[in-house]
Amino acid sequence: MGRGAFFAMLGIFLAAGLAAGCGDGAPPAGPAPEAGKPLRILSLTPNITEILFAMGLGDKVVGRSTYCNYPPEAAALPAVGDTLKMNLEKIIALHPTLAFVVTKRPDTARTLEGLGIRTVTLRSDKMEELLASIETIGRETGTPEAARALVDRLRSGLDAIRRRVAGRPRPTVLFAFPMTVGLPQMMVAGRGTFVDELLSVAGGVNAFLDAADWPTVTPQRVIALAPEIVIVNATGEDAAPDRIEAIRRAWANWASVPAVSSGRVTILTDPYLTIPGPRVGLAAARLAEIIHPEVFRPAGSEQRGDEKKAGWYAHAAVGVGIFPGHPGTCPAKGALGLPPATSVVAPGGGRGARKGPQP
Amino acid sequence: MKLRLLTARGYVTAILLWLAAWIIVSGLAMLLGAENVWAWTSWAKVRDVLGLRFYSVLTASAVGAALALAGLALQALLRNPLADPFVLGVSGGASLGVILSSLWLTAIAAPAFGFLGALVTIGVVYVVAQRRGRLEPYTLLLSGIIVNAFYAAVIMLTTALVEPERRGDIAYWMMGSITTFDPQWAVVAIVGGLAAAAAVFFALAAKGFNLVAVGEDTAGALGVRVERLRLATFVAASLVTGASVALAGPIGFVGLICPHLLRMVLGPDHRRLVPAAFFFGAILLVVADLATRLMEGIGGQTPPVGVLTAMAGGPFFIYLLRTRWRRAAETR
Repeated sequence: MGRGAFFAMLGIFLAAGLAAGCGDGAPPAGPAPEAGKPLRILSLTPNITEILFAMGLGDKVVGRSTYCNYPPEAAALPAVGDTLKMNLEKIIALHPTLAFVVTKRPDTARTLEGLGIRTVTLRSDKMEELLASIETIGRETGTPEAARALVDRLRSGLDAIRRRVAGRPRPTVLFAFPMTVGLPQMMVAGRGTFVDELLSVAGGVNAFLDAADWPTVTPQRVIALAPEIVIVNATGEDAAPDRIEAIRRAWANWASVPAVSSGRVTILTDPYLTIPGPRVGLAAARLAEIIHPEVFRPAGSEQRGDEKKAGWYAHAAVGVGIFPGHPGTCPAKGALGLPPATSVVAPGGGRGARKGPQP
Repeated sequence: MKLRLLTARGYVTAILLWLAAWIIVSGLAMLLGAENVWAWTSWAKVRDVLGLRFYSVLTASAVGAALALAGLALQALLRNPLADPFVLGVSGGASLGVILSSLWLTAIAAPAFGFLGALVTIGVVYVVAQRRGRLEPYTLLLSGIIVNAFYAAVIMLTTALVEPERRGDIAYWMMGSITTFDPQWAVVAIVGGLAAAAAVFFALAAKGFNLVAVGEDTAGALGVRVERLRLATFVAASLVTGASVALAGPIGFVGLICPHLLRMVLGPDHRRLVPAAFFFGAILLVVADLATRLMEGIGGQTPPVGVLTAMAGGPFFIYLLRTRWRRAAETR
């Protein structure tokens, strides 16, 4: 091979690279919604699925993400993966006209719009973003009244809890996920998250305000923070009885943490606590009940004495009726009625329930 | 093995036959998939699905061709039947480059960084394995293993340090997969273009490859500028490996399986092997990708194609180690 041929080949390599490098155009915008065309909705995030069902649009939803398992009707719909890994052939087979995603990544919407599906990217990291997202869903689906009604219901539900804990002392609360197996760290709710807001609605102060979003912290950091109350949310596989026991044992080691010494570490198994959807009222009530048991439980009840002795509370779920026709899953007794108490080892979390914020 | 006579007409015929085989396999890969689209009544939907499958087939072809060529060239120039971009850590270096660039830069920069990582790795492995101007076959493989372990550690460190949401991405990407998620036509074009250019270059250099396979001294005596051919081959192999890793992650053992299967059938002549590796690599990965897509239709989950090739390639590597390697060592 001569020198000329060598440089010619090198030139071809470079030219191929350069020519191909120029084709990365902007993604086309999805087609606008058309009147008269039947609405077929694809929901790729659990909270959006819940919102759609709560707005009475459940019969328009044709597909869901793998993690959307609530309400039960949603779990019966075909699953198409999640915002990071979608079964695109299945999505085309379902023929959706409108897709809702909650993600910070632009490639998800780009992929769906490439298939001619109008895709709306929503945000729900904060309460106001969640309420704005509900209004957006109402606009996109032509049901603004239902959206407004849901927003009003959520606002008044949260206000009711705010009023009940008003004027009480506000203890510091650490909201954490269980430690990952093999990794001595845990994910906690940081500043500006939706759980941070729920804690404040529920009459507490988030103990971890050093970082935004969902930082990962070590036990040393938790000991340094010295939270007065700790809420560990064990969902999915962590909700298994032996995992709950392991979490309990791990926390019992850190006796210098006020929450541990005063027996105010609560292990919950409620996936909805971190789903910014129609069950925020339920989540806030659940947290309020743990932060201010004196408000929600009559003092001197015998059951409570036993639990205090054990150091681990069993807490009741407080329902705000959001899903019409689901009295069993979301009980509404009075303003904030108390359905039967659930034990800390109750298998409340479904498998595959998403941890933490949606990506 | 005897060198069969190679005429210009036979050469063109062989290429046309390979092209036909690739078109047939690709057509089959377009017809089949997760959903049985041929039962659908809406042509618009079928067209969308075919678009996705077309992208998959092109991606798999470009990546497969690139990796098979890189494997073939490295085996020839390093005179080592077990050389492969994955085994030697070249894919690992490219992966690290791509991951680091993906943290801060856009997707279009990934092939360049993949190339950089691949080239640095080939250089390091080559220098480490050299002793008094001679390549030690065992040392070559061992340095590949060590370099791979080092890159794995750095990638794990990076994974541990990035935001939790990205960890799953990186871990899945490291398995090597052909995905229709967020199609990157530009990168597919880069990989395809580079693979085609590498095929032309290797085809022109095929005589040199043949002579180097006989012996570097012999090749030098017969007028092959071995050092320059080696440098050019390393650069070309790094370019195609880096670009294909940027597109589909590190897919292992394609560069090992393809050239060896072809040698068993076609013999050791690189003039035949280069075009054959280009098309057969493409065909092999299109078939592997089709297998993963069919599994998606059955089980709802797509296994990464890199996992399939590694599961096939591991046993194949052992087979080579027990047969060809021993034969090569005995004849030395």
